[in-house]
Amino acid sequence: MILTSQSETKVSMAMRQTPLTCSGHTRPVVDLAFSGITPYGYFLISACKDGKPMLRQGDTGDWIGTFLGHKGAVWGATLNNEATKAATAAADFTAKVWDAVTGDEVLTLAHKHIVKSVNFTQDSSCLLTGGNDKIIRIYDLNKPEAEPQEITGHTSAIKKALWCNNDTQILSAADDKTVRLWDRNSTEVVKQLSFDMSVSSMEYIPDGEVLVITYGKTIAFYNALSLDMIKTVDAPASIHSASLHPDKDFFVAGGDDFKLYKFDYGTKEELESYKGHFGPVHCVRFSPDGELYASGSEDGTLRLWQTAVGKTYGLWKCVLPGEFSCLIPNE
Amino acid sequence: MSTLVTLLRLPRGPDPNGRGFDPNSTRFVALCPTTISASTETWTDSVEVGEEQRARSALRESFLRTLIAMTNKQVQFHMYERVEVEARFGASDIDVLNFQVSELQTPIGVQKEALLRCQDVISYSFDL
Repeated sequence: MILTSQSETKVSMAMRQTPLTCSGHTRPVVDLAFSGITPYGYFLISACKDGKPMLRQGDTGDWIGTFLGHKGAVWGATLNNEATKAATAAADFTAKVWDAVTGDEVLTLAHKHIVKSVNFTQDSSCLLTGGNDKIIRIYDLNKPEAEPQEITGHTSAIKKALWCNNDTQILSAADDKTVRLWDRNSTEVVKQLSFDMSVSSMEYIPDGEVLVITYGKTIAFYNALSLDMIKTVDAPASIHSASLHPDKDFFVAGGDDFKLYKFDYGTKEELESYKGHFGPVHCVRFSPDGELYASGSEDGTLRLWQTAVGKTYGLWKCVLPGEFSCLIPNE
Repeated sequence: MSTLVTLLRLPRGPDPNGRGFDPNSTRFVALCPTTISASTETWTDSVEVGEEQRARSALRESFLRTLIAMTNKQVQFHMYERVEVEARFGASDIDVLNFQVSELQTPIGVQKEALLRCQDVISYSFDL
C-alpha cells in the first residue's frame, strides 16, 4: 500500500476503511471466534470448509498455525479465554480439542452426526457440543472417557450451543426455528423462543447478559436471562451473523450481499456499510477490546475491520495531514 | 476527498511447508512444559537431561535413516480399520504427515501413485 500525503488543503480527512485480508483458507470460512485478552495479546480461530482451522494473532491477522487432523469441513471453532485450548466441530462426526500453543490434537470426541458447535466453560473444564443429531452434549474435559451429559429436545439440527449465566445455563439455536434456554443441572428447558424462520446466528455477551440473534434480515437483541426482547433492527439484506460491541454502542452485521454493516445500537441507525468480500459473509465478531471486528466469508478469506477508522492500532497507522508516508508491504 | 488508512504491512499468511505454532515464539516458550521428563521436575541433574537428549537424538536419527533405507522398497502398511496394504515407498513430507507411495496394492486394485496419511498408519514393515 503506497500512500502519498495530501496537499495542505483540509485538516479533517474522511478516512476510508482499509480491511486487512487474511488469506490461507481454500474454502468458505463459516465460523470464527476470538479468545479473551491474554498476556500475549488476543487470538482468533477460523473454521473452514477445507477442514483446516487456523489460529491467528487477533490484532494483526498474522497466521500462527493450522490445526491438522479433521477429515471433513470444520463448521465450528472456539478458543478458551486464555487461548491455551481450542475446540473444533466438524463434518467428520467429531469434535476435537487442541492445545492452542503447540497445535497438537489433545482429544477427539466421536459423535453420531455432523458436529456444528463447540463452546468452553469459563474455566475450560467442560465442552458443550451440538450438531445434526439434535442432541446437546456436555463433556467433562477432566474425564474425557466418561459419557457426556446429554440434553435432548430440539427437533432439528442444532446450529449453535453456548454456555450462559455463569455456565449454569445453556442457550441453543436449531433449525427447528427455536432458541432454547436450558438449565445445566436439570437438563430441562427453562424458556423457549420460536421464530418464523431458522435462526442464522447467535452471540452471547456475558457482560450485561445480552443475546444477539439473526434471522432473515433482522438482528434481534434479547435479555439472555429472561429471553425478553430488547429490540430488533432490520438490515438491507439477509443477515448471516451479527456482533455487538463490548461497550454496546455499535453492532456489526454481514450476510448475503457481501457487505459489512455498522449500526448504532442506541438509535438503530445504519452508520456505515463496507464492501470488500467477494462472497456472502458467514460470520462476524468484535475483538475482545472492541477495536476491530473480523468477518469470514464464502470467498475463503477473513477480513479485519477497524471500529474507529483511521486510528493507529495493530497494522493500521494513523497518518496526519501533511505527513508524507510511503509504505510498501514487505512480505 | 477520502483517503485510505495506511497499513504498516499485510498480515502474514500461512507457511506452505509446515503447520506453524513456532516453538521459538515467546508464548510457546513461556507456556509449553518441556517434553524432556528429566527436566520437568527441577533442572537438577544436567547429566540426566543430557543422556535423555542423546537417546532422543539417536532415536530420531535412526528413524530418519529408516525412511532413507525404505526408499523404493516394498513396504507393508498396517492401518486403521483393518487395512493392510503394500506399496513401493517413495518419500515422506517434512512433517511426516504423508507418505508418497507407488503401485499401492489395495483390495480394489493397484493404485499407480498414492499418498498415505501417516496418522492413519499404525505400523509398517519392510525388508532391509
